[in-house]
Amino acid sequence: MHISDGILTPEWCLVWFAIAIPFIAIGVWQMKRGTKENASYLPMLAMMGAAVFIISVWHIPVPVTGSCSHPIGTPMSAIIVGPFPTVVLSTIALFFHTFFGHGGLTTLGANTVSMGITGTFGGYLIYVLLRKINSPLWVAAGMAGFVGDILCYLAAALELALSLNPGSVLSHWAIYSLGYMPTQLPLAVAEFVFSAGIVQYIADRRPDLMLGKLWGEVTDA
Amino acid sequence: MLDRFTKTALVLMVVLTAIFIVGAYLGYIGGHEMEGTDAIVEEHAASTAVNVEATSSVPAITDMVGEPLGFTIAGIVAGFIVGYLWTGLFRREENA
Repeated sequence: MHISDGILTPEWCLVWFAIAIPFIAIGVWQMKRGTKENASYLPMLAMMGAAVFIISVWHIPVPVTGSCSHPIGTPMSAIIVGPFPTVVLSTIALFFHTFFGHGGLTTLGANTVSMGITGTFGGYLIYVLLRKINSPLWVAAGMAGFVGDILCYLAAALELALSLNPGSVLSHWAIYSLGYMPTQLPLAVAEFVFSAGIVQYIADRRPDLMLGKLWGEVTDA
Repeated sequence: MLDRFTKTALVLMVVLTAIFIVGAYLGYIGGHEMEGTDAIVEEHAASTAVNVEATSSVPAITDMVGEPLGFTIAGIVAGFIVGYLWTGLFRREENA
């Protein structure tokens, strides 16, 4: 989902920045609030930032399709540190990705919308819905990872279609999505596994570090 | 004697490296180039429009040292950060 500089039109680059900026602003405000309320929140944010950075840049080979791609890590981060702060973390990660030849500065807004907003909130919504119907934590977290990963790539395909093929958005959205999916589906399964495992592990070992308890419910002595 | 964190980290590193090597090997012997899907779709998308080409506005580390070394550097840096913070966060629980 890393769209390079030069691919999207300047108008669409601005549109995606305009959509991303309010989410980033809310995320920064929530980060400040969280770090004031719990001393463990800052190291958790830093750890999630580093994890999202590496998970979403390191290409994993998928031999059945003959190509490689990467998971995104943002649904897992959303469950642990919150969806809005995760948008900020993914924007920072995407900025550093440009130095590894992935994405671009002018498309930072578009890439933030696909990975940081769509992947994050899509996955987090699935997590909340599954938890409301008493799904086990690991299943809800895993499904968040799976769905968030797929939604991220559908969003990237839509961004390409809207900018490059304004006369045939739906058909090109389908074409680009089909281009991503064969490689992305096995990686979405991997995203299910590590999201489920890490969230369940943290909930078992340090439940006070989970999102609901990080803000307000736990106070450091 | 290795502690539990170090043992788990080493096992994870070996498993992940094995997945990468086996996956890449199987792909290459299948005659594939193993390109990134992002670039493949992006190239196809760019070909459907006029005068659209991927450019780069920042110098990429991977262009200078190659992708294997570039991503190894990224992995080492991120791995140290995650490992340092992970042990810090979970050590507090043991001391509590």
